[in-house]
Amino acid sequence: MEVKEILDANLIKSDMSVATKEEALNTLCQKLIDNGYISDVEGFKKDVYAREKEGKTGIGNFIAIPHGKSEHVDNIGVAIGINETEIPWESLDDRGVKGIILFAVGNDHEDANQHLKLLSLFARKLGNDEVVEELLKSTSPEEVIQAFS
Amino acid sequence: MKIVGVAACTVGIAHTYIAQEKLENAAKKAGYDIHVETQGTIGIENKLTQEQIDAADVVILAVDVKISGRERFEGKKIVQVPTEVAVKSPNKLIQKVTEVVEAQ
Repeated sequence: MEVKEILDANLIKSDMSVATKEEALNTLCQKLIDNGYISDVEGFKKDVYAREKEGKTGIGNFIAIPHGKSEHVDNIGVAIGINETEIPWESLDDRGVKGIILFAVGNDHEDANQHLKLLSLFARKLGNDEVVEELLKSTSPEEVIQAFS
Repeated sequence: MKIVGVAACTVGIAHTYIAQEKLENAAKKAGYDIHVETQGTIGIENKLTQEQIDAADVVILAVDVKISGRERFEGKKIVQVPTEVAVKSPNKLIQKVTEVVEAQ
């Protein structure tokens, strides 16, 4: 069981070029619905924004981890965008972000324990400065996945 | 110094585990022994043993929610912070914990 098994190259946009949080979330949600991970973009986004209101999801080091537990999630997944420029985001270090990692998790996860385990190991890696540095340098989905292996 | 800790955030998907990683790295950098239990969506992982708790000089609770098994730490020195603090400034937190332990 490897952490990178939770990642799907189809959910990674390594050359994202947006200016706002809203645009970033729209881009990543589109990837999730195009690839069958979520069933309803607006419904899922509502749950993500509900979590955004509870506290900062920018964890410093130019990384944000918006996430929502949502009934509109069919498959647990992670959409990743690496943006060309820093975009404004509520962050612990009061700086903008370049790497946006959107977690999609369903409400019902009786059959999903293995995926959740992988997701926890993946989240853990985001606490590692070297992994984050590799991630932000990535220019292709393959490089993004490589950063986590 | 020996540290035990618990990390737990509101949703239990991301911050919990990032806090765990940051705490472990910062403690190791300071040359300390650390064990961090996580209480998340997936349940309790890396559960602390009674021996680890007994041997610990201090307990770090990086938590945003009520945790289960808090009574295990009764009588021990506890430093409690939101997960944000462990994620944002783990080294500073370990330094503060050091001061707390040395002040006794």
